Amino acid sequence: MYANSSRYVGLLFMTPALLFVAVFVLYPLGQLVYTSTTDASLLGGGEFVGLENYAKAFSDKGFWRSLWFTVSYTLYITPVLMGLGFLAALLTTENTRLKQFTRGAIFLPVVIGLATSSFIWLWLFDQQVGLFNRLLVDIGILDKPLVWFRKAELGQLAVIISVTWKIVGFGMILMVAGIQSIGDDLIEAAMIDGASYWQRVRRIILPLAARSILLATLISAIGSMLAFDQFYIMTGGAPRGQTFTSVYWIYQNSFVYFKLGYGSALSLILMVIIMAGAAVQIALTSRKGSS
Amino acid sequence: MSHLELKNVSKSFGPVGVLHHVDIEVKDREFVVFVGPSGCGKSTLLRIIAGLEKATSGDVVLDGEVVNHLAAADRGLAMVFQSYALYPHMSVRQNLSFGLENTKTPRDKIEARVTEIARMLRIEELLERKPRQLSGGQRQRVAIGRAMVRRPGVFLLDEPLSNLDAELRVTMRAELAALHKRLDATMIYVTHDQTEAMTLADRIVVLRDGRVEQIGTPLELYNRPANRFVAGFIGAPHMNFLEGRFAGGEAGAARIELDGGHMLSLHIPARPKGEPITIGVRPHHIETQGGQARIPATVTLVEALGPETIIHAEAEGQPRIVAALAGQRGITSGDTVSLALDERFLHAFDADGRRVAEGEVAEEM
Repeated sequence: MYANSSRYVGLLFMTPALLFVAVFVLYPLGQLVYTSTTDASLLGGGEFVGLENYAKAFSDKGFWRSLWFTVSYTLYITPVLMGLGFLAALLTTENTRLKQFTRGAIFLPVVIGLATSSFIWLWLFDQQVGLFNRLLVDIGILDKPLVWFRKAELGQLAVIISVTWKIVGFGMILMVAGIQSIGDDLIEAAMIDGASYWQRVRRIILPLAARSILLATLISAIGSMLAFDQFYIMTGGAPRGQTFTSVYWIYQNSFVYFKLGYGSALSLILMVIIMAGAAVQIALTSRKGSS
Repeated sequence: MSHLELKNVSKSFGPVGVLHHVDIEVKDREFVVFVGPSGCGKSTLLRIIAGLEKATSGDVVLDGEVVNHLAAADRGLAMVFQSYALYPHMSVRQNLSFGLENTKTPRDKIEARVTEIARMLRIEELLERKPRQLSGGQRQRVAIGRAMVRRPGVFLLDEPLSNLDAELRVTMRAELAALHKRLDATMIYVTHDQTEAMTLADRIVVLRDGRVEQIGTPLELYNRPANRFVAGFIGAPHMNFLEGRFAGGEAGAARIELDGGHMLSLHIPARPKGEPITIGVRPHHIETQGGQARIPATVTLVEALGPETIIHAEAEGQPRIVAALAGQRGITSGDTVSLALDERFLHAFDADGRRVAEGEVAEEM
């Protein structure tokens, strides 16, 4: 009797969360799956077409090109974000005032909207008035200001620079937490054991902070695979659609070409790809953690 | 050769001074224990010696050379941490070899040394295990092994037994003493446990509030404590302190009136009448039979330990008095007993807690 009633009370407490998940996650997901099997347009309607959208996606060069572009963007930016994040974490882990301030300063861009920061950097990269161009010229790296968004590679590099500025603090904070969770006595024991600073980093800090680093990498990589705002604002897909990311391509199909059904199918394919990647990474993480 | 000197060492954390003008000399192969209550600065002092903390002023001198500027690794010391600080992601073998790998020791030499240490500490079968798969005592052994592997001149041990249960602590204490003899190395050991200090040390350094209260052999500290703090800290159960005042007398034979009206005569210089004095007497120097038993007291608690009986008693005008009586006694709580203080072992402390002298005491009524 008591067990039964307490079960209902438990269910009652969970109801708001369950309702939230049902309304904002499960229902839209179901709707997405359904829409992906229709030829629905943004303007309405939609006949059931089965797996036709999926079949079409597999022969859609634009989609695969955008996916490859997104993967390459992720492969470039993730090591940069994690490497610099780890370096920043190493330099600012201690809780002195200066280091706390530095941590705050590096983390500050994380709380700025991505669209806002993309606009800021769009101006900074501007050929005529961009301060970043000016800086590169002044310190002698460039002879004359660069048109950053004329070439896909340069555009991608510009986005990587801007997103690094914006996001690096996030990985840093996760890794600071990981490094701080390593007991001071372990570091001191290593010092007495004659380990140099880099030996301590390589043999003590890195392995013991591995879980935090892998978590940060996972979150960062998923975020990069979903990149949209920064390319929408900074490159607009130019030149010739070479800087379309997957999400950008889905947006184009759904909201510019009005092919909502097809866009839904692409979204699901991207979701499966990201989930597969995340699963591999989580498997690696847990294996590392249990060893 | 490992001879260590601390010269006028002081340490402050911001405005808070934790060590004040500490002078200590540790001779080669000596086992010195720093003992004191929590917050007395003993661990900070050890960390300064290790090079993990910088002294605000003063010098750390190792074998005649000032090593203030030397990093922890370059001082040739090893340390066993209270938490053991074993590297959790490394096997016992890797934990032991880490220090040698850092100094680019050839692989075969590392292997030989690790095997030798493992055999010495009887941890050979644990070499491939991770620290979390070890018991407290085994971790302790590995931690000591890790310290031994680099053949340090000085071992620093920071409360190494405090995480072990009582039984294991006694066993490890004996093992540490044996290890010290076998290694023939200088050891500096920090503890708040006076029993560990008494059983292990060649010499004990008693610290309080960042100052050295007394340095001496265990028995020197027990028999001639320099002040009331040392007298109360060293020895278990703790020394009893009976409050009283000078009540006249002459040079070399002061009369003292204890609170509660009992009179004592002590062979110490007399001081002005009414000046307060504290008489210290160890529980083992109180009897209830024979002698000149004179202080009537009511027993409030009896702890029958078998070989001895500890009684807690209350006497008029005095705080609780604890007596450790040899053998088994038929005393129960509520009994009235007459407490006789062994005249040969009384200690006297002035109002500032400084030792006045011990003397033969004859009680007067």
